[in-house]
Amino acid sequence: MTSLLARIDHHASIGSTPWHRASALGKLVVAAGVIGIAITSPSLMLLLVVHGIAWLLVASSRLPARVALLAATYPLPFLGLFLLARWDGTAVTPLVLLLRPLTASLVVAWLVGTTPYPDLFAPLSRILPRQTGDGLFLTYRALFALLSRSERLSQSMRLRGGFSGSMRRRLSLAGEAMGTLAVHSFDRSQNLYASMLLRGHSGRICGCRHFAHRSSADLLSLAVAAVVATSAVLLWRVA
Amino acid sequence: MSHLHLPDGVLPPWIWIGALLLVLGILALAGRAIDSRRVAYQGALAAMMLAAMAVPLGPVDFHLSLAGPVGVLLGAAAGFQVVFVVSLILAFIGHGGLTAVGLNTLVLGLAAATASVVYGALARRLAPAPALALATATGQILSGLLWFGVVTLALRAPVFPASLAAHPPRLEVVSAVVIALWILGLLIETVVAYGVARFLARVHPALLPATRLSGESA
Repeated sequence: MTSLLARIDHHASIGSTPWHRASALGKLVVAAGVIGIAITSPSLMLLLVVHGIAWLLVASSRLPARVALLAATYPLPFLGLFLLARWDGTAVTPLVLLLRPLTASLVVAWLVGTTPYPDLFAPLSRILPRQTGDGLFLTYRALFALLSRSERLSQSMRLRGGFSGSMRRRLSLAGEAMGTLAVHSFDRSQNLYASMLLRGHSGRICGCRHFAHRSSADLLSLAVAAVVATSAVLLWRVA
Repeated sequence: MSHLHLPDGVLPPWIWIGALLLVLGILALAGRAIDSRRVAYQGALAAMMLAAMAVPLGPVDFHLSLAGPVGVLLGAAAGFQVVFVVSLILAFIGHGGLTAVGLNTLVLGLAAATASVVYGALARRLAPAPALALATATGQILSGLLWFGVVTLALRAPVFPASLAAHPPRLEVVSAVVIALWILGLLIETVVAYGVARFLARVHPALLPATRLSGESA
């Protein structure tokens, strides 16, 4: 899961498509619109159209196919169970239940695959309570360092027989490993907070305003928004 | 299994919008009860939750949540806030829908907050390891019940606004799988929580709330 996060983040940072140059704010609006229509549309035709648009967005972002599929199909195992429970003998119900989350997942994959996380978090942090917004940045900052540490920890546990024995022993040792990560997290966070204070931290991490910088690439977001809105108006009542 | 894997589009808007508004309200209130000097620690423990969730424990992407231990280490308010951050980041990689962030937060946040409260009551009588294990188990039970309630609501909601469920949902299909995974998750989270507390009690007892109350500062 987190390796997927790392790969998406990498692509978002090094990609060079027009979507990567477009502002995060514009893309957030497009994503909200497409997802909103996908999950509320009473029309299968409209749902098919926005699903097609979602595929076009992902394809034009040049997100590696494997990464895009992994991100987009994440909900499938649970969805399979859900479809089985909701099966009513028709093809429309499972199709709708499948297309809605897949469209949303594809759009999210496009959004995060073309927008570095700090740019994505910056507008959100402005509408969230202060400490929650700060938490987004600090979690993201801590995650990758912690991941490499947990990988090393996992390797040493394996080498020293930490994964052998009864299930209870293995789980208990896994818990102790989590305890070492908690201690490490505490020590690291103390240092980080001290550095933040030394650098003039005033109690708020705002993130850069890069997310709202407009460029000619934003015309693309505008065009997609227009197509989505027109489709919604024309097809909302079409069965 | 307390983590809600409901994707976008399977919940009626009144559920997820209501949940999101409720969560934003709780976050605004929780912000007043949180020590802003611990913001980096909260971020680090949120990252630890994400790292723990990255380790699959079997089929259907079953994984640890660590909501109980994190709730106890940070307290109910900060634990809830951390759970929201984790749920939002997870939604950005398709792990649970963006519209399910509010519900994810409520379900996992309930586990964290419950564990914090129960640990506070148990730590006076029990050693840290059994206290944290029992607190985590209680949190998992309550959040599992909430999770199951949400899934039941989602299954009973019509697919289209105008379509009424002509065929009642097969709740037994979901129940069979979910209850088995829930019990498994409950056991795993409890044993892992026991290990976390046993380690912290030996190596860094000041991190555990009961020890902090006894005079040391974390």
